[in-house]
Amino acid sequence: MKLKKISLSRITVILFIVYVLISGFTFYCAADNSKTFTVGFDAEFPPYGYKDESGEYVGFDLDLAEEVCNRKGWILKKQPIDWNSKDMELKTGAIDCIWNGFTMNGREDKYTWTTPYVDNSQVVIVKKDSGIDDLSGLAGKTVAVQSDSSALAALTDDDATEENKNLAASFKELQQVGDYNSAFLNLESGAIDAICMDIGVANYEIKLRGNLFVMLDKHISSEEYGIGFLLGNTELRDEVQETLWEMLGDGTFIRIAEKWGLESSVCLSSEDSYIDNTVTENSQSLVERFLSISKQLMGGLTASLAIFFLTLLFSMPLGLLITSGRMSKLTPLRWIIKIYISILRGTPLMLQLLVVFFGPYFIFGINTPASYRFYAVIIGFTLNYAAYFAEIYRSGIQAVPKEQYEAADILGYNRRQRFFKIIFPQMVKNIIPSVTNEVITLVKDTSLAFAISYTEMFTLAKQVAAAETTIMPLFIAGIFYYIFNFVVAFVMEYIEKKLNYFR
Amino acid sequence: MSLLEINNIEKSFGDLQVLKDISLSIDQTEVISILGPSGSGKSTLLRCMAMLETIDGGDMSYCEEKAVTSVSGLPVYASKTQIKKIRGYFGLVFQNFNLFPHYSVIKNITDAPIHVQKRSKNEVYKEARVLLKKMGLDDKENYYPYQLSGGQQQRVAIARALAMKPKMLFFDEPTSALDPELTGEILKVLRSLADEKMTMIIVTHEIDFARSVSDRVIFMDGGIIVEEGSPKEVIDNPKNERTKAFLKKMSFNS
Repeated sequence: MKLKKISLSRITVILFIVYVLISGFTFYCAADNSKTFTVGFDAEFPPYGYKDESGEYVGFDLDLAEEVCNRKGWILKKQPIDWNSKDMELKTGAIDCIWNGFTMNGREDKYTWTTPYVDNSQVVIVKKDSGIDDLSGLAGKTVAVQSDSSALAALTDDDATEENKNLAASFKELQQVGDYNSAFLNLESGAIDAICMDIGVANYEIKLRGNLFVMLDKHISSEEYGIGFLLGNTELRDEVQETLWEMLGDGTFIRIAEKWGLESSVCLSSEDSYIDNTVTENSQSLVERFLSISKQLMGGLTASLAIFFLTLLFSMPLGLLITSGRMSKLTPLRWIIKIYISILRGTPLMLQLLVVFFGPYFIFGINTPASYRFYAVIIGFTLNYAAYFAEIYRSGIQAVPKEQYEAADILGYNRRQRFFKIIFPQMVKNIIPSVTNEVITLVKDTSLAFAISYTEMFTLAKQVAAAETTIMPLFIAGIFYYIFNFVVAFVMEYIEKKLNYFR
Repeated sequence: MSLLEINNIEKSFGDLQVLKDISLSIDQTEVISILGPSGSGKSTLLRCMAMLETIDGGDMSYCEEKAVTSVSGLPVYASKTQIKKIRGYFGLVFQNFNLFPHYSVIKNITDAPIHVQKRSKNEVYKEARVLLKKMGLDDKENYYPYQLSGGQQQRVAIARALAMKPKMLFFDEPTSALDPELTGEILKVLRSLADEKMTMIIVTHEIDFARSVSDRVIFMDGGIIVEEGSPKEVIDNPKNERTKAFLKKMSFNS
């Protein structure tokens, strides 16, 4: 009966949130009366689109878009997006196009494309002193690609060449990373051995990073960039295409390409014609897709569960140790612990994970093995959650009346007995509600492991969503998190009831 | 033999001096009541004797063993092991019972004898059940403190103190937290302990009880012992004005 009440009130809350979102969206649309052109781009993809030193979004593609908008009298909106979410952004109309060194090859049927304007190739970057000088040298190595990038497609897609498939099979591991900056940090620290990426970006990054890295001579594929619109949106595509041709005719296009050092890569031609494609429906039934996606997410769920249980296993006792330091009579120890707690609570967990993962190399010059990625996740989570648990324990200990200590002293208990026999059980009862909160937060926080490219459920859901251009994986991941937390809440309620034997 | 002897005790909280030069000696089987208005220092005196507070001056001995010696005016506590041993000589019953809420009645009574005094479990349980029977609580051994009335909880607290086999018992206003109709059951227990020749020091507001059960009554005010003597002397024929005023007020209240 009580359970029913809770879920009813939860549904009410969910409905309210949906209402607010919809009404907010309607308002946003109604207020929008001047024509804006929203370009979606990956803000970490120089020189096509990135954040420069002054904090502005700049790049070849953004300059082109700006020029198009000037000529059409549109207002340009530069919308940095998460690369994994690009299809959702496009489908919901949050962006008008993807214009960002966007590879057409292999995606011909997924978008309405302009004609290609840049010819690009996929290349391999290694550390200068790595000793790897051709593709065969990559056997047994860890190679990184950006998730859902052309390099990934060139290596693993169904229509990839046999040669590339064999190459990918020779790797020790093909690691998917969220952005190129972390890929290069990984490469520098030795956590990975090579990165496969677009030649234009590769040239730029190598120059930027002081020639620490080199490019292998043999390319793994060649490809072309186009501007992608929502499948079927030919009207907008035609407007942009005609303006581009206009810019090509009067030399503006080439001038912008020269500004970014891409004059040798551009290939826009008024002779090219559009790819012919139409909207095709996915033939799988909804239930089939649900099941197939759920199956794919299971691997990620295992990873999330591992983070969850190991973090609890280590952080709860560590928190107790930290509390004892925090409440110690030794002033220096107390201050050290206070600073520790202050830092761990005052900075984002995501940042702490990055520090734990990259710190050994960038601070101490230690090369970490590939397996360290998982350990770093557990260490980062444990250190962070121990700080929170420590403060929860402290509040629980302070809530025990001081007379309990006096009663224990009068009866002759020593300090250890006094704490573990008398104070600790009462503390546990005091803190159950706060601990429940913290544990539920941990379930959701496991998704932060993506910061160091550890593939837990949410990261996987985003990858699957990108590959299948649907938000269903995210929705299913949401259901999994909810079920997970429902079980957690149930277990905690059970423990709370069990502790009701005393008051 | 004197079970407790304290000389020239001083105690301050910050600038406030709560105990001024208190000396007291307690003999075996003696029952002493300490009376006095609130703020007179009587509870602080008891807590100093129970070593829940440290003293700022003076010396204390229990069963002729030094717990605190005065070295050039400053109190020096004995070694940790000595203090631990001396702590076993006395028990304390609190105003608010302070039972361990997560332990059942029987565990409250038996845990310290088993784990502190390392006595055999069987023997301790047997004695605990005898104590419970004496307290009229033999059907409550598996109850938890919250399931008992205040009077029952205080009787468990007394049993818990007695299970340690102390040589003397301190009571800090044992009936003050109880509803008036429940004080009787506690006073009855105290009376029977006095009959069994238990040495007791009781801080109390129960004048009639103090008169009938005490060998000696101490009246404190302003951190000093104002008057001391038999109940007849202090309660029935007080000499000091402050004692008279206090007793008059108490009789109006009751």
